[in-house]
Amino acid sequence: MLTLAIPSKGRLKDNCNAWFAQAGIVMEQTAGARGYRASFAGFPDVEVMLLSASEIASSLLAGDINLGITGEDLLREEAPELTGRMHLIRPLGFGFADVVVAVSQYWVDVSTMADLDDVCAAYAHTHRRRLRVATKYAQLTRQFFAQARISDYRIVPSAGATEGAPAAGTAEVIVDITTTGATLRDNGLKILDDGVILKSQATLAASLTADWTEETRQSCATLLAKLDPAAALYAPLAAQLPPP
Amino acid sequence: MVAFPYYDTGAIGALKTQADVLLDLFLSRGYAREEPSVLQPAEIFVDRSGEEIRRRTFTLMDPSGRDLCLRPDLTIPICREAVLVNRTFPARIAYNGLVFRHQPGEPQRPTQFFQAGVELLGLEDRAAGETEILSLAIAALRVAGLKDFSLRIGDLALFGALVDALALPRQWRFRLKRHFWRAGYVESLLYWLGHGDSLGDGASRLPGDRAEIEALLEKQGDAPLAGRTREDIIARAMDRAAEARTLRLDPVVADAIARLLDISGPADAAMAQIRSLLKTAGINLDPQLAAMDARLATLASLGVAPGAVQFTAHFGRNMEYYTGFVFELWARDREGPVQVAGGGRYDTLLETLGAKQPVSAIGCAIRTERVLAAKEAA
Repeated sequence: MLTLAIPSKGRLKDNCNAWFAQAGIVMEQTAGARGYRASFAGFPDVEVMLLSASEIASSLLAGDINLGITGEDLLREEAPELTGRMHLIRPLGFGFADVVVAVSQYWVDVSTMADLDDVCAAYAHTHRRRLRVATKYAQLTRQFFAQARISDYRIVPSAGATEGAPAAGTAEVIVDITTTGATLRDNGLKILDDGVILKSQATLAASLTADWTEETRQSCATLLAKLDPAAALYAPLAAQLPPP
Repeated sequence: MVAFPYYDTGAIGALKTQADVLLDLFLSRGYAREEPSVLQPAEIFVDRSGEEIRRRTFTLMDPSGRDLCLRPDLTIPICREAVLVNRTFPARIAYNGLVFRHQPGEPQRPTQFFQAGVELLGLEDRAAGETEILSLAIAALRVAGLKDFSLRIGDLALFGALVDALALPRQWRFRLKRHFWRAGYVESLLYWLGHGDSLGDGASRLPGDRAEIEALLEKQGDAPLAGRTREDIIARAMDRAAEARTLRLDPVVADAIARLLDISGPADAAMAQIRSLLKTAGINLDPQLAAMDARLATLASLGVAPGAVQFTAHFGRNMEYYTGFVFELWARDREGPVQVAGGGRYDTLLETLGAKQPVSAIGCAIRTERVLAAKEAA
């Protein structure tokens, strides 16, 4: 059985359904499964699971499911090194959002990561502790800050409402997701000129560590051909899968 | 090598014998043995040391939610204790114990290994401290039975003095010094300072005078200060605006420094090259060069052949608390060259750990398992 997980609610779910419908695939909710299982008409050996977006990323990484649709931001955060673990099959053209570094608009002297580096170093020097960066993207933040040669900071995990952290005094800088930037602006924050970590969108991804039998490979090839007949989506995935 | 070493009876015996020999030497030179706990509060490492050490520190949480770590070295907890108990200086401390390091991308390297070492804290005479530690490190390898080894030396203070001699704004001098340990980055900054044609960032958009900056701040509504002061923001904005207009380095000077940073080779030849490049750049670093000459003389008096000493200008060690003279001792095991010991000066560490005054500090650590492996291969 080929398992495919899609987001269980919200706009991502609706967009997924629309994308399947446009490819001529009709999703049927499985009765009695309390809305967490579904199937595709005409694809008896594909099991569709409805999970939260972040569960989809962790399930792909754990190899619990073959395919999944979720934000690229979550996939990259879950698996900073994709090689051998996940294959990104295709971006889907919806669910756009940027993961960005944002600072207070009051910091008029800071517009680049190089400026932030100076401020971090000065802060560490003056306060004898590191400037705090609130985020739920700890991995992406570490990678990006390392590339920008910033080391005088520390990450404060944020469960939600990250954009409020600088005003609340729980962090000085944030790394968060934004679509229009409006929420950031409302909180007196601005995105650094070179502070876009990732331009994310909903992505169809395959787990390379899941159970890939001859049958699931065949089902996957058929499903991908139906989803996008023009693009040869299966071949690049097959090339990365271990021998059955 | 394996990620999770298993010590059999033979290995335990060999390590114990070697540790006893090393500790006896340290004690005979006036050092007293101490040992911090394996489990440490995470913040002393995570908050006080740089990215490289953080990246390699195992952190964990205790059941009450407090962040802990396995000590990635003994220097930081030993120095922290010295600050906490208000030690009288100079203090001479020896240790031998396990340290724990995550080895990102190198899963075959051991996640724990032994280090035997010494810390010399608060000795006013810096040159004497360097001679003491350098000779102790060399004596340690010799009593451990290792005859064949070479040295790599460098001096972060040399680079610091070099940067301070440049006609650059304070922010830029800090920036260059802060990034010295990152190979490649400092060179690209220098190239840009000498040859760049525009500031590739937002500084050129900043107004130059105080009143305009204040007006700009007024327009930010109730955006948070976010941990900084209004005065700090104004001062830095004015600095940035000024440097956007004036920041340049004579290309001859920028290139001479870049070439200087590239120097690596037998120490005598390297020092001659440095002198000639400094002359080209019109920079006088005589005190720093004299200090390096004195170290080379010390090494010669210890019977280290001049050809076995390599000077690398761009040598900052991979732990960011070093501030001056740094050295590494290298030998060969069956697989090739291995670093068997390393040390250097870390004159700001105790202050970052809370000391009220600057405390000069220098130390070294010996990788005892590698010394054994090198002896076996000899």
